[in-house]
Amino acid sequence: MKAKKHLKWNTKCKFCLLPSLIGTAIFFVIPYIRVLYYSVIDNQFRRNFVWLDNYIDTLTNEYFLLALKNSLLLIVICVPVLIILALVISLALSYGIKWIRKTRFAFVLPMVIPTASVALIWRSVFAENTTVLPIYLLFIWKNIGICIVLLTAAFTSIEKSICEAARLDGANSLVLHTRITVPMIAPTVFFTVLLSIVNSFRIFKESYLYYGTNYPPDHSYTLQYYMNNNFLKLDYQSLATSAVLTSILVFGIVMVGMAIQRRYNR
Amino acid sequence: MKKLNAVIFTLLAAVFILPVIATVALSFMVGGMPSMQGYADLLFDCFVFYPQFWNSVIYAAVITIVQLAVIIPCAFGFSQAQFKGKGALFVSYIVLMMMPLQVTILPNYIGLRDIGLIDTPLAIILPAIFSPFGVVVMHQYMKNIDSSIIEAARLETNSVVRIIITGVVPQIRVCIFAVVLFVFADCWNMVEQPMLFLKDDSLKTLSVFIANAGDFSGRVLFPAAVLFLIPVMILYMFFNEYLEKGLTLGELS
Repeated sequence: MKAKKHLKWNTKCKFCLLPSLIGTAIFFVIPYIRVLYYSVIDNQFRRNFVWLDNYIDTLTNEYFLLALKNSLLLIVICVPVLIILALVISLALSYGIKWIRKTRFAFVLPMVIPTASVALIWRSVFAENTTVLPIYLLFIWKNIGICIVLLTAAFTSIEKSICEAARLDGANSLVLHTRITVPMIAPTVFFTVLLSIVNSFRIFKESYLYYGTNYPPDHSYTLQYYMNNNFLKLDYQSLATSAVLTSILVFGIVMVGMAIQRRYNR
Repeated sequence: MKKLNAVIFTLLAAVFILPVIATVALSFMVGGMPSMQGYADLLFDCFVFYPQFWNSVIYAAVITIVQLAVIIPCAFGFSQAQFKGKGALFVSYIVLMMMPLQVTILPNYIGLRDIGLIDTPLAIILPAIFSPFGVVVMHQYMKNIDSSIIEAARLETNSVVRIIITGVVPQIRVCIFAVVLFVFADCWNMVEQPMLFLKDDSLKTLSVFIANAGDFSGRVLFPAAVLFLIPVMILYMFFNEYLEKGLTLGELS
């Protein structure tokens, strides 16, 4: 009797998953399978299998390569700057004096500010589009909030006695934080890095609202422009192929990131 | 040293908040002079502003509320149900959460087109409801809740809905507030979906209005940007203190 009731409870709990699973299947998973199919046929009407031809076309397309290069540059340059800045600010917010803690809103607020609202001011300040700097600054400005939220949450979960003991042993702030507090929250730092890399793939909105065009200067042409423009041209094959390639890239990054985190946790 | 730190941080904070202050300040300027003309033009002459403002409000509110009704049971199911492949299923939610919009937007479009929802408000609302972010965050949070309350609730009632409302929701309040702020701000910031899924201007959102800046005289833009800030700012004031406690995403694996 008891076993039967237990089974029923388990089934009920499984039913709770259903709405989300069905919605995810309809809007993400099943259409994604069709995207995979689109990426290996020649076009919607003839539907001949061309296997990897679209992939070869995409991977040799100069705009795709330019977009890929710019997307990777954004990761390599901005993510380290973002993480280090977020770490320093989070440390100050967690361990600093009361006055510093009051500045939290200035760093966290940007994460909820709609990009459309601030893109205007960015456009007025940076009148010339000769470098990619405004986009990098916008990326850091917009993404530092979530990093700080996650990092300060982790710092405040460290027990105070650990820091006090280190202080008694004569550790100064620099030693305390580089040797003890930051290493203690390493899993969170990893996750923040991962999230920031992934968010760097989302820069399209910021860039689009800043430039206000589908054809930005070459230095700011990222993967998302490539895909967005194929969307507007209704070029499903290029679009599907680049969507699949981007998803493989992101999937790889997430898997590697999670593997590193798991290893570190041990 | 402490004073120096405080000065540096005050300056840094000022730099970060400056774009918002400058936007507000410039909204009260027309042609270099202080003036309310921008607001007057926007509110009395710019008739597309109102429907698009309300579209933004309605889309973001509906998405946030319905999404809660989907993700709370889902996260609850993940924490309570035992079945083979649960771990892998949850990892796929994490992977989906990490996917950039440009990967998911084509599947979204195909799904919507097949059901015939393109150019309707549901095209914006439905895919956003099933965004995986909330499921991941809430499941993570539920790992730390007191299961004895759920056990106790199970003795009293057989209804899963009642158990969730009385035994789970009060315990994850903080997480719900953080998710509401995050999801609402995210929907409020939508640009690509209304641009690609909607053709009818009367269905579009205020972010598209501001994005298509060229169509209107420049002076209404800063006022529109400021009015566009206000709803999220209000939500932020109420809920921002829960962000650190609600979004415990540090240790996912």
